[in-house]
Amino acid sequence: MIESSNVGAHDRASPVPELHRHRGTALLVVGASIVLLGAIAATFGSVAIPLETLLQIVTSKMPGASVIVTWSPSWETILFTIRLPRIALAALVGGALATSGATYQGLLRNPLADPYLIGISSGAALGATLAIIFDVNLWGGLPLCAFIGALGATFAIYALAQTGGRATPTTLILAGVALGAFLSAISSFLMFKGDSAFRTHQVIAWIMGSLSLSNWDQVIVLLPYLGLGWLVLYLHARYLNVLQLGERQAQQLGVPVARVTLTLVVATSLVTAAAVAVSGLIGFVGLVIPHIVRLVWGSDHRFLLPMSALVGALFLIIADAIARTVLSPSELPVGIITAFCGAPFFLYLLRRKREVLG
Amino acid sequence: MQTRKYLVGLCALVLIILAACAPAPTATPVPPMATPVPPTVAPTQAPTTAPTTAPTVAPTATVVPPTATSVPAAFPLTLTDDAGRSVTLQAAPKRVVSLAPSNTEAVYALGKGDLLVGVTEYCDYPPEAKQKPKIGGYTKIDLEKVVGLTPDLVLATNIHVKTIVPELEKRGLTVFAIEPQSVSEVIAKLATFGKLLDANDQASKLTAQLKSRMDAVTSKVATAKTKPRVFYEIDKTLYTAGPGSFIDDLLVKAGANNIASDAKSQYPQLSPEVVIAKDPEVILLGDMNYGETPEQVKARPGWANITAVKTNRVIPITDENLIARPGPRIIDGLELIARAVYPELFK
Repeated sequence: MIESSNVGAHDRASPVPELHRHRGTALLVVGASIVLLGAIAATFGSVAIPLETLLQIVTSKMPGASVIVTWSPSWETILFTIRLPRIALAALVGGALATSGATYQGLLRNPLADPYLIGISSGAALGATLAIIFDVNLWGGLPLCAFIGALGATFAIYALAQTGGRATPTTLILAGVALGAFLSAISSFLMFKGDSAFRTHQVIAWIMGSLSLSNWDQVIVLLPYLGLGWLVLYLHARYLNVLQLGERQAQQLGVPVARVTLTLVVATSLVTAAAVAVSGLIGFVGLVIPHIVRLVWGSDHRFLLPMSALVGALFLIIADAIARTVLSPSELPVGIITAFCGAPFFLYLLRRKREVLG
Repeated sequence: MQTRKYLVGLCALVLIILAACAPAPTATPVPPMATPVPPTVAPTQAPTTAPTTAPTVAPTATVVPPTATSVPAAFPLTLTDDAGRSVTLQAAPKRVVSLAPSNTEAVYALGKGDLLVGVTEYCDYPPEAKQKPKIGGYTKIDLEKVVGLTPDLVLATNIHVKTIVPELEKRGLTVFAIEPQSVSEVIAKLATFGKLLDANDQASKLTAQLKSRMDAVTSKVATAKTKPRVFYEIDKTLYTAGPGSFIDDLLVKAGANNIASDAKSQYPQLSPEVVIAKDPEVILLGDMNYGETPEQVKARPGWANITAVKTNRVIPITDENLIARPGPRIIDGLELIARAVYPELFK
């Protein structure tokens, strides 16, 4: 899939070349949709806040505004302390996962790569399991344990995968699978040995991913990791394009493959680990969004990475809005929605574009 | 991909936990991935899995001493259990194994604790129960241990029926499943325990006592003009008890207006905004023993404006086993909730 959709092949085959020429416009349109859909998502929930009232509430908070308060004070509480941080977090996590997925798919030249491929899921899950089973409440508790677990596992895998001073995609994937299985075994053992079904349930709920307890603190903690990570990834996007020709070719063309690989693994891990720490393991976004972007707009990573971030953000805002409204007042784990809605759409695109992909 | 494998692995693990040690060939009816919370993992539905660290402060169910005038029940005895199985006891049992704390408590409450030769690790009430040989956890039952104890009656619950019960019956044991679905049923099932254990007199006395205590609560709360809105917190991710659940039944009987009464499942997870919008007047912390405190509840973003928080009515449930276990102490649990909801009526 990746091989046949490299930069050159795409220009000839894309049925929508006009979109290609207007990448700036496309980014703007998707960016604007995020704001619009974010606002619409904020109207949904246990209390339906009409869009008009929502705008009035927001305006009333602006300095110098004089708006007559016609709404219940609990609406303000709900909007500012629960819904808006949740939507912001959904956007950031969605963007983080989709960018990481796009990077790994490009770096490892493997269409099945997702942000969790190299240790993140098993490492974060082990960290979270330990935090839950041993009631860790110090130093940030569960999110920090998950973050450390994710980064620790990724770096261990990178170290193990090195042969002759560098890690190749194949050794990275294999070491990732092996160490991942090992760490998962430890988590499973801890959960099985632990006698509390309550805690086991907490671990399972965490692993399925949820944004239900979002707050502004999480958004603020997330921002520096994502900002830095995204910047590094974007600056390396052109190397990813060259890497599609194969490692040897890229090396001959002057790409410092070993250094680029390490930099990208570190940046991607930081971005993903930070996202996972606040939201658990939300599946499918990181796998499918980059493919959707690639199918529609081609696989130039300089465009693929930022566009994946935006589409991922948009997708997770919508998925989370569904997750918290479809069974209202009950919550649904958002991972169920991402897979349930994302997979059919992806299959639809895949069938439509099969000729293109060959 | 790895995530998904991981999830499948976890679901498999849940299945294994459910299947306990019984290599039951019948599939356990938990659809992997389909339900966010496999019902048996929900803390309140596995009432026994939560070892309590808090001391029991509530009054304890009265143990009725065996009476000398007890008329021997008619054995052999055939009864239909709560899984719809017809079970025959040839004679009054002398060696009983209990697979659930609620069963253990019922046996003791009828004064037949001496008959127990095996209980679960979670059977911690009455304290004597802790001295009995252990047959494993509630869902992880050691088949060899149970068979080795040569019981003439095994008291199970419905959760065991598809997992370990066939294995026990294959080995010639008599198993009876008891699974009360409501507070009234807990009391009604005491008669069944009475028949099984040849303790009919004790059962009818205890039934009468518990009934009058329950009626006392319901008639008292009926005098209240308005029913306070109550949120029962099972865990800090805001799982709560919806309609059809045991806790909801307790809340209704205690005159509370459960804010999750419009939920679509027995153990729904509420979004924080639902709790804020419904503005409960009382919050019951069922997760106190897992470290949640009223202070933590107050500090949650947006919760400071909830009436229960403003009026300091975030009340920890000191012994959740009174509420989670469908045993004879359930009336203690009912009184605990009623006191929390109507402090002025239960001075």
